[in-house]
Amino acid sequence: MTQPARGGPLQGVRVVELTKVWAGPYVGKQLSFLGAEVIRVESRESLDVTRTFGVADIDKAPGFQAVNPQKLSVQIDMKKPEGIALLKDLLGKADIVVENLRPGAVKRLGLGYETVRQVKPDIVFVSMGMWGSEGPLAYQTGYAPCFAALGGVSLLVGHEGEAPAGMNVRYADSSFGAAAAYAATVALLHRRRTGVGQFVDVSAVECMSSMIGDTLMQSLLGGATPLGQGNRNPGMAPHGVYPCREDEWISIAAPSDEAWAALCQAMGQPGLAQDPRYRTLAARKAAEDELDGLLAAWTAGREAAELAAELQGVGVAAAKSQSSVDLVADPHLWGNGFFREVQTRQGEPRNIVGPSWKMTREAAITDAAPRLGEHNAYVLGEILGLSGERQRELTEGGITR
Amino acid sequence: MSALRAYRVLELAEGVAGEYCGKLIADFGAEVIKLEKPGTGSPTRRLGPFGGQGPEGERSGLFAYLNTNKRSVSLDPADPAAADTLRRLLARVDVVIDDHAPGWLKGIGLDPEQLSVTYPKLLLCSITPYGLTPPDERRHAEDLNVFHASGWGYHTPTGADERRPPLNGAGRFLPSYEAGLEAAMCIVAALYEREGSGRGQCIEIAAQQVLASRVDYVLGQMVAGDMDVSTRRNAFDLFGPAGIFRCRDGYAYIWMSAPSHWDGLRQLLGDPEWMKTFPERWLERECTPERVAECRRHIAAWLATQDKEPVAAAAQKLGLTLVPVNGAEDLKASPQYRHRGYFAELEHPVLGRSLYPTVPYRLSETSARLESPAPLLGQHTAGVLAGEGA
Repeated sequence: MTQPARGGPLQGVRVVELTKVWAGPYVGKQLSFLGAEVIRVESRESLDVTRTFGVADIDKAPGFQAVNPQKLSVQIDMKKPEGIALLKDLLGKADIVVENLRPGAVKRLGLGYETVRQVKPDIVFVSMGMWGSEGPLAYQTGYAPCFAALGGVSLLVGHEGEAPAGMNVRYADSSFGAAAAYAATVALLHRRRTGVGQFVDVSAVECMSSMIGDTLMQSLLGGATPLGQGNRNPGMAPHGVYPCREDEWISIAAPSDEAWAALCQAMGQPGLAQDPRYRTLAARKAAEDELDGLLAAWTAGREAAELAAELQGVGVAAAKSQSSVDLVADPHLWGNGFFREVQTRQGEPRNIVGPSWKMTREAAITDAAPRLGEHNAYVLGEILGLSGERQRELTEGGITR
Repeated sequence: MSALRAYRVLELAEGVAGEYCGKLIADFGAEVIKLEKPGTGSPTRRLGPFGGQGPEGERSGLFAYLNTNKRSVSLDPADPAAADTLRRLLARVDVVIDDHAPGWLKGIGLDPEQLSVTYPKLLLCSITPYGLTPPDERRHAEDLNVFHASGWGYHTPTGADERRPPLNGAGRFLPSYEAGLEAAMCIVAALYEREGSGRGQCIEIAAQQVLASRVDYVLGQMVAGDMDVSTRRNAFDLFGPAGIFRCRDGYAYIWMSAPSHWDGLRQLLGDPEWMKTFPERWLERECTPERVAECRRHIAAWLATQDKEPVAAAAQKLGLTLVPVNGAEDLKASPQYRHRGYFAELEHPVLGRSLYPTVPYRLSETSARLESPAPLLGQHTAGVLAGEGA
């Protein structure tokens, strides 16, 4: 019943998640991949919607499983006072708690930071909100594309001279989670050195702004904010995405005159590199429409991956624009362990998106996402030390299931 | 007390990813010593935006943003004459951050493979586009290429016209910022372990994987076989009338997926005739392309007569998720950003007094702080090297 030691830098750290959907669970996933024991507290009475999207079986929801591998699940009814009491006992045994419930919800549940501190003075309490936990707009809520719109990201994505198009709708939740996970590790390390816990207050909108920090800096130094520039970059030309055969696309960037000369060589037009119209970056920027036209005409008949490899061979930064088929078939992503196999509780293999990193001493990642309440016995019996009889009472009383 | 005050970091990085990682750690109080090539310094010193008036190399707003709270030492780690000094520095730091191409570290005597022998207590973090062992066809990459290798590029924007090229992400360096953030988290986690074990280790961050992991909710379903993969540009998309619309003074983003949003819109518009022709739960159950197009047409006509802030405030009160599409000027004026102090002031000897974006988290005991501006090239050479007895 005891959880096997998995190793990794955060082995021995216990995280309790009161999270929903994507951003909050992403924090737990990062910490779990670093070796922490991550326990999701879930209520059948207020299920995470990702457990129900598109399926009848809440234990087999694809979206939920995608973001919650290697976690534990305990089912506690948070609408009953006994459930809240039980949860407080669990928080008393935790190092970190992460919450991304609606603004004010944890306080209404009687689980705000000041309350939790009473039972666990050195807890690292991570609170995630669209605008952070306090301030004139903290009451507002939204979804990932709202974070991107509010934080300044969406305005920058678009074809030149057109309305902003924004990032893909999926962007923002996971980046928000990544920022919260970093702040949590910092607070955890501080606690290890000093014994002092703290409240970590993370803002999704600010997280988006931090992904365009240099653009904001431009405005803060008195410059204009650039709008969508298509695929262009003030410091490189060419810098674009060009059509290939069968609706494929290739990205090509030339950060220097040398890279441009190598590209001209590959195009079989070495003379272009010395052509005064294109010789310097300034010249290429001035003639960029024409330049992009030349490249697009050249790439149009080619196969994208093959052309990217050819350009790499002469030192040019190029990559196929990967579709979802390309991604799941990317041999480098499999070879690096980024895609990897874990086991469900039934012993069936399941592929997951693993950690983005490698380290010398990393955590073992072996388990698929938990079934609802799969780890009730471990959490109630081993962590909280409740007798079998008491556990049965809680189940009969509908507090746990 | 700042959370990372006890640690000393040597930054060998010369790109945005590594410098951003170093900044995230320096802003929590770690002593970050940045090695810069004598004479030229970091390449980011030559990238805009530029401000102020003064020596070339000291006017970059990019460098100023990425290197707050750091110390600059003029020393070329690849110069054989500097090898002894470098070794002494390496022996006295806790962490090294690098973002050069695979093989570069070995060339300066810091082979990741030999780390446990040469510097057993050191944490060495390498950030590269594809990791330390890329295939031959992935040796060269700029952020644009990483964005496209990760899958984000092909699927940006949502609802793309498939005849037009996919679009780059926001700004120049989003992939680098994401990778730098991931690296900082791994470094701090490894420092946590080192407090107990006393051992260093090598951390390898691949930006392509960081970005791909940011779409795990979708990609995880695809790799598990639960969601179809395809060559469609809309394979990551959610469908429905959500999107960006023009307003009188800019743009607004509206999200609609549930009956409560539809109801909020009805109240905001005063129960218009066109809404009565839609089934009550069409968003969830009967979201046809024709209805989406008609709904979008009406929203577009209406929002074109509205100002983004007031209409967003009214919508939020009715449970409709509508927000302004903000630019830098809007954020500078945001009462929420002011409340949380997202922008903080620093005085830089060349750029002068300016606000800087800070970080998206506030810690009650040990918040990140901007204490000193980015260093001038070599500003701390004498002090740091004297401290090393070098």
